[in-house]
Amino acid sequence: MTLRREWWIQKGLLAATLTSVAAIFLLLFLLLYFSFPLLFSGDLKQLFSWRWNPFEGHYGILPMMLGTLLLSILSTVMAFPAALGICAFIYTHRNSCLSRLLLLVVHVMTSIPTVIYGFVSVFILVPPMRRIFAAGAGFCLLTAALTLGLLILPTIVLVFHAYLTQAGGSLRAVSESLGLTPMEQFCFVMLPSASRGLVSALILGFCRAVGDAMIPLMLAGNAAQIPASFLDSIRTLSAHVALVLATDSQSMAYQSVFASGLLLFVMIAMVTALAHHLNRNMLSRCR
Amino acid sequence: MRKIAIAVSALLLMFFMICSVQAADPLVSFAHLKGTIEIAGGTAHIPVMKDAARAIMTYNPNIRINIAGGGSGVGVQKVGEGLVDIGNTGRALSEAEISRYGLKSYPFAMDGVAVIVHPSNPVTQLSAEQVRQIFSGQISKWDAVKGTSDDIHLFTRDEASGTREVFWKKVLNKGSIATRADVVPSNGAMKTAVAQDKDAIGYMSIGYVDDSVKTVVLDGVPATQENALSGKYPVARKLYMNTKGDPTPLVKAFIAYIQSPAAEPMIRKHGFDPIK
Amino acid sequence: MPVRRISNRVLSGFAWIASAGLCLTMLTLIGFLMKRGMTALNAKLFFDNVPWTAAVLGRQPVFDGIWPAVVGSFYLIVLASLIAVPLGMATGITLSEYASPNIRRWISLAVDILAGTPSIIMGLFGFTIILLLRKTLLPQARTCLLLSAVCIALLILPYIIRVTQNSLEAVLPHIRLIGPSCGFTQWQTICYLLLPLSSRGILSGVILGIGRAAEDTAVIMLTGVVAQAGIPQRLWDKFEAIPFHIYCVAAEYQSVRQLDAGFGSALILLAITGILFLAVTFLQRVVVTRYEILS
Repeated sequence: MTLRREWWIQKGLLAATLTSVAAIFLLLFLLLYFSFPLLFSGDLKQLFSWRWNPFEGHYGILPMMLGTLLLSILSTVMAFPAALGICAFIYTHRNSCLSRLLLLVVHVMTSIPTVIYGFVSVFILVPPMRRIFAAGAGFCLLTAALTLGLLILPTIVLVFHAYLTQAGGSLRAVSESLGLTPMEQFCFVMLPSASRGLVSALILGFCRAVGDAMIPLMLAGNAAQIPASFLDSIRTLSAHVALVLATDSQSMAYQSVFASGLLLFVMIAMVTALAHHLNRNMLSRCR
Repeated sequence: MRKIAIAVSALLLMFFMICSVQAADPLVSFAHLKGTIEIAGGTAHIPVMKDAARAIMTYNPNIRINIAGGGSGVGVQKVGEGLVDIGNTGRALSEAEISRYGLKSYPFAMDGVAVIVHPSNPVTQLSAEQVRQIFSGQISKWDAVKGTSDDIHLFTRDEASGTREVFWKKVLNKGSIATRADVVPSNGAMKTAVAQDKDAIGYMSIGYVDDSVKTVVLDGVPATQENALSGKYPVARKLYMNTKGDPTPLVKAFIAYIQSPAAEPMIRKHGFDPIK
Repeated sequence: MPVRRISNRVLSGFAWIASAGLCLTMLTLIGFLMKRGMTALNAKLFFDNVPWTAAVLGRQPVFDGIWPAVVGSFYLIVLASLIAVPLGMATGITLSEYASPNIRRWISLAVDILAGTPSIIMGLFGFTIILLLRKTLLPQARTCLLLSAVCIALLILPYIIRVTQNSLEAVLPHIRLIGPSCGFTQWQTICYLLLPLSSRGILSGVILGIGRAAEDTAVIMLTGVVAQAGIPQRLWDKFEAIPFHIYCVAAEYQSVRQLDAGFGSALILLAITGILFLAVTFLQRVVVTRYEILS
């Protein structure tokens, strides 16, 4: 009786897994299917150039790719130390009211629509940026990166925190008995032992930064150019999709939407695959 | 006997009055219809569509009207694929779009496009030539047009925008816009950006202008909807509804209602000028 | 020794600064929303001029208020969670407990890629699905609440899979052995031992998912949300949602009052997700306290 139930449960779980996996592959397939005509026409060369000016027949999306890369790397780099600090705080003050409050704040942050971050930043971050740096209108790489860093912070903190609590228990007991202060435990024991969690948290955060459309759309300025400094206006692939999606659906500019989508997807897939590879190497070395 | 005659004539009079009121009521064409109208596309159209939907759905609860945004391009695509009944656009359809999907267009309002600056900006009028030079990047400081000595911050709209298209054709004469110009995705975003930056210049639909920004007098003509409708202010576009082939009776009634005099106050209320 | 003390000080100082900075930023953000949105927060924002009892009971349609959007967002979150949580947890369990290492590796990679998929691409995906359906099986198919829920579920699925799998895998081996030593079958071990022990991690994944479902704009924009539809009666109706409402206001506001109403709606959205979080946390409390000894 129990065995039979066990069998059914296993089959049920397998079915659910197959459904999820099928959904993932359907997504990949459809995306490829719709950009197929593009890949095999002569238009591809036109898209991979450094000039975007649809009114004069230039459809290059490379500046957007550069913009995406710069913005997401910059925002991850900004969010990373802050996330570590917050995790350290929560770890060293665990079971206190303060850390619980902080966790609550971080949780609530996940549900703030990106459109609100962008919207509020336009009012309270852009004017000081313009005044402090006195270069341009304040809509720039740095403004967007600051806000985007704030957006991906809770993702990084929560995923890493989950790892930390899991790694918890015995490790903590051992390190405590060695006479390490909570901060030392965090830095020298928990951090290395949860490094895998840290990597996956960073990847999730990075991918979130790559994919977000609203914040760059509202804050980065969207000029399709190669930025010369952090204070220059940039356009990302995701913002490009949002900007151009509403255009004449038969034009070359519209084609660049699918190309951008595919490019975004490929970038994310590559980053993820690379991280998996690193992760495996790291694991095998640890063993 | 006389009393009866009075009563009958009073009743008759009332009957005729009710009839005439009914005939004048523009909503009467919806009386025996039911079903759903799906609308998508241009965001500038939404407030007008919403008001019309409210009037129609209150009059006849059997009709359901869904209104979505998404922008002109999405409107064309959705109506073309048959996903919605009406696709709104803030620009005329391209040849390719009409021939591919077999769409029909119904313009209903006129909308001017104004050059806007921060209210504290001393510059009040510009010639079209000056605007062209500013947007192409040849003039980069306000003092070249009798303003302050600060840098000009350029704001333009996205490539899909109907506003950009008309501004580019009728003011810039299809000239170039400097690459470094910041691109904003909507009228609201344009207003927010310019209202906060004393060195900014941009352009937007007159329907959205309020106290937070200042319209610039272009070539001596103030940018108002009246001037746009009369043709004195040449920088204007039409707002369109589009259907795939011939519309169903319900959709037809809706389009007729938006184009009728009854909808004029709604169109005016949201800052546009109805087309007769 | 002093070096050790100094480094300790510096590090905890940094942790304090990071945490305080975050709280301050959030306070500024919410303070700004309050300052702008509070004046707009009243019954009119919700129900327009319809009496609230009539609106809540659905007797009278609300046209200008955000009540239909509140209900629409709520339906969307619940539906998407109903699809994604069981599927995601089942997949996570399979990956962690049943799958062979090779399969696990490939599926994990796919899941991670899905996790990184930008929401705007997920929206395009939903849109193309409907186009395909119309050309093949269901010529009447249109974008709707169900489609949005499915796409949002797909968006949050990887979070739940990942978190379930990681939490299960992190249960220490000696605790894992308690199951078989009590004569539990594999499923009983999972059900009565591993899942409760990792409930904290799993629930944090669910919370992330709910937050994501509540705030996403790009996916629903292409798959069925509209600016005005009333309260959805069936799964294949169109619906309204608060993030999209805020997006519309940001893009097309005509007066400062409309803008403030937009900020007010943002506050409402925060309140709704806050309530959902509290509910989930409460649930978690109940589960965790029952298994306190083991963790």
